Amino acid sequence: MATMKFLCDTKRCIECNGCVTACKNENDSALEWGIQRRRVVTINDGQPGEASISVACMHCSDAPCMAVCPANCFYRTEDGIVLHNKDACIGCGYCLYACPFGAPQFPKKGAFGSRGKMDKCTFCAGGPEENHSEAERQKYGSNRIAEGKLPMCAELCATKALLAGDAEVVSSIFRERVAYRGAKNAAWN
Amino acid sequence: MNKWFKHIGLAIALLFSAVCLANGGDEQALQPQASDAQIWAQLKDGATGYTTSQSEFHAQPINTYDLRVLELRSDWLAPALMAALFGMIIIFVLFIKVNGISKLHHGFSGKLVYRWSKFDVSIHWLGAIPCLMLILTGLTLLAGRFFFQPWLGEGIWEAIVYGAKQIHDVMAIPFMIGWALMTVLWAKNQLPKMYDVKWFLVVGGYINFGPFKGKHPDAGFANAGEKMWFWAFALFGLIISASGMLLLFPNLFEPSRTLSLIALVLHSVSAIVICAFSIVHIFMATVMSEGGMECMVSGYCDENWATQHHNLWYDEIKANGTLKYKE
Repeated sequence: MATMKFLCDTKRCIECNGCVTACKNENDSALEWGIQRRRVVTINDGQPGEASISVACMHCSDAPCMAVCPANCFYRTEDGIVLHNKDACIGCGYCLYACPFGAPQFPKKGAFGSRGKMDKCTFCAGGPEENHSEAERQKYGSNRIAEGKLPMCAELCATKALLAGDAEVVSSIFRERVAYRGAKNAAWN
Repeated sequence: MNKWFKHIGLAIALLFSAVCLANGGDEQALQPQASDAQIWAQLKDGATGYTTSQSEFHAQPINTYDLRVLELRSDWLAPALMAALFGMIIIFVLFIKVNGISKLHHGFSGKLVYRWSKFDVSIHWLGAIPCLMLILTGLTLLAGRFFFQPWLGEGIWEAIVYGAKQIHDVMAIPFMIGWALMTVLWAKNQLPKMYDVKWFLVVGGYINFGPFKGKHPDAGFANAGEKMWFWAFALFGLIISASGMLLLFPNLFEPSRTLSLIALVLHSVSAIVICAFSIVHIFMATVMSEGGMECMVSGYCDENWATQHHNLWYDEIKANGTLKYKE
């Protein structure tokens, strides 16, 4: 089976936030106000060395969220996509602390700092509910993987900076680009 | 004239290229186009940047921390908390089977001596009942997925872990109030004394065989074991309350993610210590020490229990006239 990964080429990302909008639109049914599953961060903004990168859940093979969850609500699909069961989520926030990428987010619920059910990027692969069911749409958004399609953010990236797909394919495309650019040590490592 | 311009232009071009070459040799200097290695190094160091997202921590692409925290929780802290609860219960049951309980040598006198005020008894239970519930729900949250979930159906597990989280959050408040009151109000009776060393040397006189049999070490209002429990509770109660506040009120304290993970580890470590002590404390009061439970029911203790277990305290209140019997 494939191992699905995202890769963002900082040499191509132009901080257009098209991926953010594509994700918001595609998964709108599941997203509560104030939640965005993907974001673009620009470091050294306006200075030499400026670079933009699109960040969401990286679907880690050794996912810290999965290791730390008290409810054990995470699971990995056969495509290597890390998904979670919102019915089991207790809103403790541990996955947010453990995730290096700040992917898990919580809608505000109730008094004090209490959190609602966690939401994060699903690689447009829905959740544990039946594929394309109303429950899946309401809780997790779209399920493009079940239709044989890749995530909307990468598909709509105008500069093809954001790549999604099997790790082998994605990294070979990136390697090819780097070789073409011809610079030494220009690749992510 | 035209030749002059060419020469000046060439000189300027050479000058700038020399500056560029000098900069190129410096790996750290940022070029208009930073190399991917440089960007990656900055991101790994936790660089923050500009983002349109309003969500928590979203300005930082990568937060780095020591990933061993994850294994520490699953491989060490979770089994340790199980051992602190169930292991201690098994050890104590076996100990009582072998050793027997500590009986009152002269039976119950029937005369009850004033030991705790009604207020003392109530703050004890204000801390104790939430403490028990926090141990059980906390065990579910830390170790449940490893030890309980495999035996449970999906729906039942979801309900249990959700309930555990809700109860854990609510019970934290009375526990902290109880902890603060007990720690502050009872500390003066818990200061260590020289005779506490002797108490430890004979294991408090609770061993019913061998050279320790029949020993009755001196003890004041509190014996050395109780003092150890008190100070452990005071210290780890402070750590567990402080770390718990960070986890329960992230909107109030806005801890970083790494600090939250550290709080999580400290919370578990404190829980293991408090849980193990609690089991001992409960066994001592309910089973091991005959007549001990009465103290936290009515606030009075049997006179024979007082002379046997807290002789120095009994002598003191008798001498200074504060000894008060129950009418």
